[in-house]
Amino acid sequence: MGTDPARDLVTQTVLYNRLVGVCREMGTTMMRTAYSPIFSESRDFSCVLFDREGRMLAQTEFCPAQVGAIRFVVKWLIAELGEDAMKPGDVIVHNDPYRGGVHMPEHVVIKPVYYDGELFGYVANIAHLVEIGGMAVGGFAATATEVYQEGLRLPPVWLIREGEYNHDVWRVIMSNHRAPRYSWGDLHAMIASLTVAERRCHELLDAFGLETVRQVSSALMDHAERWMRNEIRSIPDGEYEFADHMEDARDPPARDWIRLRLIVNDGEIVADFTESDPQAAHVLNCTYGVTASGVYNAIFHFADNDVPHNDGAYRPITVIARPGSIVNVIHPGASVGGNTETHPRIWGIVMGALAQAVPDRVSAATGGTSCNFLFGGTHPDSGHYYVHYHFDGVGWGGRAAADGNSHQVVPNGNCPATPVEIFETRYPFMARAYRLRTDSGGAGTQRGGLGSDRILEVRAPSITVSALFDRMVSRPWGLYGGHTGDPSRLLVRPAGTPTFQTFGEAFGTNSNSRIANIELREGDEVLIGSPGGGGYGAPEQRDPEHVLRDVREGFVSVLAARDVYRVVLDEIDGQLLIDGAGTEALRGALAHDSGLERIARDPLRPSADAQPPQGGRWERLTGDWWQTDVTNCEFCGQVIPSDIWRAGDGHQFCSPDCDARYRTYWLPRYGQRTDARVQ
Amino acid sequence: MGRDGAVLGVRIGIDTGGTFTDLVVMDEASGQVDVVKLPSTPDLPSRAILAALEQAGIDPANATYLVLGTTVAVNALLQRRGARVIYITTEGFEDVPFLQRVDRKFHYDLDWERPLPLVARRDCLGTQERINYRGETVTPLTSDGIENLVGAIRERLADAEVEPADVAIALNFLFSFVRPDHEANVREALTEAFPKIPISASHEVAPIWREYERASTTIADAAVKPLLSRFIGALDYGLRERGFTRSWSVMKSNGGQMLAETAGERPVQTVLSGLSGGIIAGQAFGAEAGASNVITFDMGGTSTDVGVVADNRIRYTTAWEIEFGLPVAAPFIEMTTMGAGGGSIARVNKGGLLQVGPQSAGAVPGPACYAQGGQEATVTDANVVLGRLNPYNFLGGDLPLDADLAFKAIERTAREVGIPPVDAALAVVEIAVENIAEAMRLLTVQRGLDPRVFSLVAFGGAGPLHAAAIARVIGTRATLIPPHPGLCSAFGTLLADIRVDKTWTHLVRSDAPDLAELDSRLNALVQEAVADLGREGFGGEAAIRRSANMRYLGQNYEEEIPIPDGALTQGTWQRLIDGFEQHYEAEYGYRISNEVIEVVQLNVSAVGEASKPQLSTLPERPPTAARAQRRVYFDSREPAACPIYERGDLSPADVIQGPAVIEELDSTTLVHPGQTLTVGPRGLASLVWA
Repeated sequence: MGTDPARDLVTQTVLYNRLVGVCREMGTTMMRTAYSPIFSESRDFSCVLFDREGRMLAQTEFCPAQVGAIRFVVKWLIAELGEDAMKPGDVIVHNDPYRGGVHMPEHVVIKPVYYDGELFGYVANIAHLVEIGGMAVGGFAATATEVYQEGLRLPPVWLIREGEYNHDVWRVIMSNHRAPRYSWGDLHAMIASLTVAERRCHELLDAFGLETVRQVSSALMDHAERWMRNEIRSIPDGEYEFADHMEDARDPPARDWIRLRLIVNDGEIVADFTESDPQAAHVLNCTYGVTASGVYNAIFHFADNDVPHNDGAYRPITVIARPGSIVNVIHPGASVGGNTETHPRIWGIVMGALAQAVPDRVSAATGGTSCNFLFGGTHPDSGHYYVHYHFDGVGWGGRAAADGNSHQVVPNGNCPATPVEIFETRYPFMARAYRLRTDSGGAGTQRGGLGSDRILEVRAPSITVSALFDRMVSRPWGLYGGHTGDPSRLLVRPAGTPTFQTFGEAFGTNSNSRIANIELREGDEVLIGSPGGGGYGAPEQRDPEHVLRDVREGFVSVLAARDVYRVVLDEIDGQLLIDGAGTEALRGALAHDSGLERIARDPLRPSADAQPPQGGRWERLTGDWWQTDVTNCEFCGQVIPSDIWRAGDGHQFCSPDCDARYRTYWLPRYGQRTDARVQ
Repeated sequence: MGRDGAVLGVRIGIDTGGTFTDLVVMDEASGQVDVVKLPSTPDLPSRAILAALEQAGIDPANATYLVLGTTVAVNALLQRRGARVIYITTEGFEDVPFLQRVDRKFHYDLDWERPLPLVARRDCLGTQERINYRGETVTPLTSDGIENLVGAIRERLADAEVEPADVAIALNFLFSFVRPDHEANVREALTEAFPKIPISASHEVAPIWREYERASTTIADAAVKPLLSRFIGALDYGLRERGFTRSWSVMKSNGGQMLAETAGERPVQTVLSGLSGGIIAGQAFGAEAGASNVITFDMGGTSTDVGVVADNRIRYTTAWEIEFGLPVAAPFIEMTTMGAGGGSIARVNKGGLLQVGPQSAGAVPGPACYAQGGQEATVTDANVVLGRLNPYNFLGGDLPLDADLAFKAIERTAREVGIPPVDAALAVVEIAVENIAEAMRLLTVQRGLDPRVFSLVAFGGAGPLHAAAIARVIGTRATLIPPHPGLCSAFGTLLADIRVDKTWTHLVRSDAPDLAELDSRLNALVQEAVADLGREGFGGEAAIRRSANMRYLGQNYEEEIPIPDGALTQGTWQRLIDGFEQHYEAEYGYRISNEVIEVVQLNVSAVGEASKPQLSTLPERPPTAARAQRRVYFDSREPAACPIYERGDLSPADVIQGPAVIEELDSTTLVHPGQTLTVGPRGLASLVWA
C-alpha cells in the first residue's frame, strides 16, 4: 500500500467494499430476524453508514425509494439533537415526514458508534413498519387529508438509552399500533441490524484505524462526486421541461400537476419543481426526501452503476421543491402515498425531460403505481390480529433497444413480491389466479412490458381492505409514436354475484383508486390489475418476427397484431406464419419517421442584473421543547434542523450557497416568492 | 483399501468440461498418478471419456472406483440447450415462471432485460386442482381434469414450432410440499400416457415453500434430464463393453457423490458436479501446504470458477441461479462462475473499449491459434503472442498451436483500438485478470474476509498462467500450483465423500411439540439418507449430521441449529431450543424471552467417508536446469529472455527465480520477474513474491 492511504486506490476500493459490506450485513440481519414479510420477503428497507458529520459513507438500499431521503433524514436528526445528546448504547427512532422522513410508515432507527470513546459515526436503518395506527389498517390511510389520520407520528425519541430500554416510549408505540407484535418484532430486527453493524464497524476500525477510515472516506466521497459529474457530462447541457400528474379516479377525475424544469449544465443538474401544483388535501403529497429520491433515482439510471453511492455522488444534483407544494409537503399535510405513487411519477418526469436530451437512453413511462393493497383482520385459525401491505409488479416502458420488462416492481422499489404460498399461509386470502394480461403492454417498435392480474378470494368471515392506486384513468405514456400502456384496475366481485365491479359500484366509494376500510366478506373476490408500460417508437415499425413471437407466446393478440402493429398473420396447418405481402400492403402507406428528436435550450446563466447576496449571519433555531414544527430553506425547500442562514433582507436559507442561488437563479426567473412560508 | 473394502486396484477420476475431458488414474498402492487430457466431444461427451480411458492404457476391469464430474448439465442450462419443457401447474398460475419475483437485478439500470424462464409460455398448462396451505382440497383433481390435461399435452406436442425435439415434463402444483398426492397422481397418469417422456415432480425435486423457486428448480431438473440420462447411459454402456464391472458414481453439487444409475433421476443435484471436485481438491492441496484459508481458482477454456475455503470449511448454499431470477434450489458448494477462460473472446465494444468475455470460442472452433476456423482473438491467442504459451508444447504437443493465426487475430483487435499488437495482447490478459480478481473480491472482501490471509490454489489449464498476476491484484499470500493443475477437478473426484442431504418441511411450535412424531420423522430421514447412501455405493458407517431450521414464531427466515445427539426427548428438545436462543443472541444481540419458537424444517446429512488416496513423494534429485529459453513479454513491450523448465523435472531441491515458465502436459505456470517458485515433497509448487 502507498504512503498516503487516502490516495491509495486499493485501500479505497477495499474500504469502500468493506463499508458496503457492513450495510449489506445489516440488511441480511434485518431480513433474517424480521416478522413481516415486507422485510423478509420484500426487503422494504435500507441500511446506511454515516460519518460523524452525518455524511453518508455507504449504503445498501434494498429499496431505491429511500435513496435520497436517507441522506437527509440522519443528517437532519443529528443536527437537530446535537452530537452531545447521544451516548454509547443509544438507539433513536423517528418517522416524522416533515423531518426528512419518507412517509409515516417508514421508521428510521439510528445508533451512534463510538471507538475508543470517540464518536466515529452512525449506523442507521430505515424500514417500512406494516402497521402504525391511524384511520386505516396497514398504515396506509388512502383517504387521509392530514397527518393525524395517518398513524402515530414520532419525533426523534430514544428507544434505548445507554443500553437500557426506554419503556415509556415503547409503551406509547405499542398502544397506538394495531398489531404491536409485528412492530415489536420488526423494531427489534432493525435494532439487531444496528448491533451487527456496530460490531462490524469496530472490526473495520481495528483493521484500518480511525484516522485512515476518515481520510479514505473523505477521499471516497470526493471520488464519487468527480465520477458523478463526469457521468452527468454525458448528457448535453440544456434546459428540459416535462410535466405529468397524479390522479384520483373519481367522476370527474381529479388531477394534481407536477412540473419540472431540469437544467443540465457542465456536470451539474438542477431539478426545479417550482411551478408544480400546491400541496393537496390527500395522501399523494411528497416529502422533500421523496421528491429528491425520485430525482436521484432517475439520474442514477444515467450514470455508471459502479459510482459509489455515498454523499459525494449526490453533490452535483440540486432539487428545488417549494414548501407547501405537492412536491414538499408541510404540516399538517398527508403524504403516505407520495413514496409509493408520486415517486415513480417524478422518476418518469425526469425520464420524460431527458428524453429530449438523450432519446436513446430513456424509456417510455413505466406502469407507475405500486398498486397498494392493504388488509387486516383477525385470522380465523389463530385468533390473532394480522395486517399486510401488498404491492404488485407493473409493465415497464419500451426502450430504444429492447421491449419493456413485464410485471416488474416500480422504479422506487426493488422488492421481490410475496410468494402466493407464503401469502396464503399467513393471511386468509386465497389466490385464485395470478397471470400476465395480454395486450396490456403499450404497442411500439419496442413494446411496453405487460401488467398482471391477480384474483384473491376472502377465506375468513371478514377482512378490512384499503387501497391506493394511480394510472387508473391516465394511461402510462409512450414515446416517439409508441402507444400508451394499459391502465391499472381494482375490482371486486361480491360473493354470489356474477361480475367484477369497481369499488364505487359495489360499495359506493367516491373514488375507485383511493379506498379505505371497506369490509369484505367470505367468498368476495378482489381483482388487482397492474398497468402495462408505454411503447417506444411506432408499432407499425416493429419487426414482424417479434410481433409473431409475441402472438405465439400470448403477449399480443392476433387482433392487435393486425390492427395496431399492422402485421398480417395466417394460420397454416395449425401454425402461425407472417403474411409478408399482406403486411407490406397494410404497412406500406405509413410514413417512416423515427419521431426521435432532441429538444434543448441553453441552460440559463446567471442574469446580469442578478442581485448579489446582501450579507447575512448564522442563527441558532430556538423553540419550546415540545414544538415539533420545522423550518424550511426558502430556496431549495429542505428542512433546516438547527442552524439558519439569515440573509441580510431577512430570508432564511439552509446555507449561504442557497442564498446566492436564490438571487442568481430564482429571483430573476420567478420574482419575489409569495407563498405563506415567507414572513 | 477401496471403499467397498475391496482389494487395491486403480481409481479413476473423470472430469468432463465444455472444452476438455480429463482423466486421472491413481494406483491405490503406490499413489502413482497417470493423467490424460483430450478435447471434449460435446455432441457425445462419453466418446472423449472412453477415448481417454483407452489412451491411459488401463484395463477398466481393474478399476475399483470410478467417479465422474461433469459440466454437461450446467452448460446445457447456461446455454439454454436443455430439453423443451412442458410445465404443468395449478390452473390460474400458469404464468408463475414468467411472473417470477418482480425484482430487478440492478437498482439503476434501464438496459437490463429480465431473463425468460427455460420454458415457452404456450407450453405452460393449467390443471383443475387446488390444495390449500393446510393441505386441504379446495378443488379436487378429477379424472376428467387429467384427461383434459393429457389432451392438452398431446396438442402441444403436435406443435412443431417449439424446438428442440427432446421433451420433458415439469409438474408443480401449489402447496405440493404440504400434500403431494395431486402431483403424484398426475405423474402416474402422465407416465402411463407418455411413457417415453421423463417427468420431474416438484415435491420430489425441491419440496420447498415458495412456488416460483420450486417451479424454476423443477423446470431446470426436467430440462437436463434427457440429456444427462442419455450421457450416463452411453458412458455406462461403453464402460461395460470394455469390461468394467463395478458400479460407478457421479459428483453431486454438494461435493458428495452418488451412484450413476440414480443421478439420471434427479439431475438437478448434479448441476454443479463439475465444479465441486475442484474445490475439494483445492482444500486438500491447501491443507498440504498448511493453509486453512484458500481461494480456489479454476480457469479452463470457457469459464473460471472461484471458491472460498475459510478456516478449512467449505460453505454450502441452496441459492444458485442459472442467471439472475432463475433460481435452482438444491444443495450446492458455494462458488462463483464467470465467463473468463482461455477461449474468452476479446472484442471492442460500442464505447471503443476492449472487453474480454463472457463469450467464448469454446472447444470448436476454439481460439484462432487452434486453426479450426476461429477468427476472433482470445485470451489463449494473447498468451501465445506474448510468448507465455509454447505453441509446440500445448497439451504435450498433441494440439500444436498456430502462432501465426494467433498473431493475426490479435493484430486485428489491436488495429480496432489503435495500439501495437503486443500492447493489445497485454491488455487482453490484464482485463481477464482484473475481471477474475473482482469476482474474488466479491467472495472475500465483501464478506469481511481479508484476502491477505488467503492462499490462492490455481488450477485448470489456464489457472497457473494467470495466477501470479491475480495474486498481485488482490494481495493473496502464496500461490499454490498442484501437480497436474489441468486435472485438479478430476483429482478432486477421487477425494469426494458420498453425501446425501434430506429435508422435511413441517411447522412445529415449541409450546406444543409432538416429540414422538418428530423423533420418528427424524429417524425416518436418517434411515432414508443411510439407505440412499447404500444405494449410492457406501457400505460403511455413515457420519450423520442432524439439524433443524428454527425461528421465532412469526418470522420468515430460519437459523440452522444442530440437533443434539440421541433420541428426541424432552431433554434434547430443551437443549435444541436453548441452542437456538444462544445462537440468536450471539448473532443478533438479543433474545425474545417467552416467545414461541418454531421449527420449520428438519435436515439430515449422511456422509460416507471415502478413503483419501495420497500422491507419491518425489524422488530426491539435484536442482534441475532449464530445458530451453525463449522471449516472453511480461508487463512491458520489451520481452525478457526467459528460461523454460519442465514441471516433471522439478523437485524440492529447486528454487526458481522469475522470470521463468514451467511447462507440463496440461498447463503452463508463469513465474513473473520478482517471484520465487519452490516445490513441496509431493510436487505441490508454491509461488511467492520476493
